Amino acid sequence: MRSSPGPSLLAPPLLSLLLLVQACSLPWGIRRQPSPRSALGLGAESRQDPALSGDGRLLASLVLRSGRSTVVLQDRRSGQMMPLPLLRGQQPHSSPSLSWNGRYLALLVWRGSRRQVVVNDRATNRLLPMPLRGDRDPQRLSLAPDARHLAVELVEGGQSRVEVFALNELLEPDPIPGQWLQGPRSGSRP
Amino acid sequence: MSRPGHRMGWALAPTPGLALALSLLLAGCLDNGARPLMGLNLQLAHTAVNRDPALSSDWLALIGGREGREQVRLVRLSQGAPVPLTGLNRPDARPVSVAVDQWGERLALIRELEGRSELVLYRRSLQSVQPIPIEPAGVPHRLAFSADGRVLAVEVVRGGLSQVDLLELP
Repeated sequence: MRSSPGPSLLAPPLLSLLLLVQACSLPWGIRRQPSPRSALGLGAESRQDPALSGDGRLLASLVLRSGRSTVVLQDRRSGQMMPLPLLRGQQPHSSPSLSWNGRYLALLVWRGSRRQVVVNDRATNRLLPMPLRGDRDPQRLSLAPDARHLAVELVEGGQSRVEVFALNELLEPDPIPGQWLQGPRSGSRP
Repeated sequence: MSRPGHRMGWALAPTPGLALALSLLLAGCLDNGARPLMGLNLQLAHTAVNRDPALSSDWLALIGGREGREQVRLVRLSQGAPVPLTGLNRPDARPVSVAVDQWGERLALIRELEGRSELVLYRRSLQSVQPIPIEPAGVPHRLAFSADGRVLAVEVVRGGLSQVDLLELP
């Protein structure tokens, strides 16, 4: 005689149903990806300052390694880690930003006695430093998905301001599929 | 006869805009030759505070304004001009972190309102603001959009631990 399924066997389907109901309750059909703690394989580690590649495939975030803020790069769905050997020894890292397919990872690193803007070109395995002229301290940055522009928040004399730089003479673009066919849009999605 | 240097100094002195432009030109370049967008940077420099930039193709979202009265701003790089964000900014809210998709259509925003932090999604063409609940409950601190506007990553603090929530949008 077969016994009926116990509570432990019922739990996973019930949990799935609960998660489904919860996901459906979000507005506009927004779906919550399972907790990064399980999906991305970092345990209960604290992680901060997320950045996504333009296509949403890669996730960069900051975790603590030996007490220092360190950027990690992962496949968003599988959690697989991508090595970033050129960034070792330049912690603390901050403000990661990715191009469309993740070829470029721009971030702030600590070099000498100050923060510096660098771009890690993962295709050529190069680290491009972008030192700022003058006594200005970069706080945050954002790389455009096509890698044509970089916006940097700078502090000078206690005041924050944002400046934008064209990178087209420094970096090959990380082309966004269909961008040149569609042309610039204003307020409409394909 | 006046020396050329004197003449130039006299000419520059009463034009603070020109002095600001020169200052940006001299100090703004990255040493390896990245070229500052002078017109846009000058325009941004006229705001008391600008912070937390988020670039996506032709769009720059940032938080700017006077201390204590900051707002989300969206600038189209190719036109060097801000676009209106009707219905997004509230005088009783303090923006914390902003992100924009590559079409400048969707903006995600964390803001402090009535003593709590909330995550909202703004659709520019609809001028609509939709709150997104944080579940399990936590305090959102920072966010990022994929350029295609399909995925949102949010740093959320729960019980003293920072985590990253990932949301997929239709």
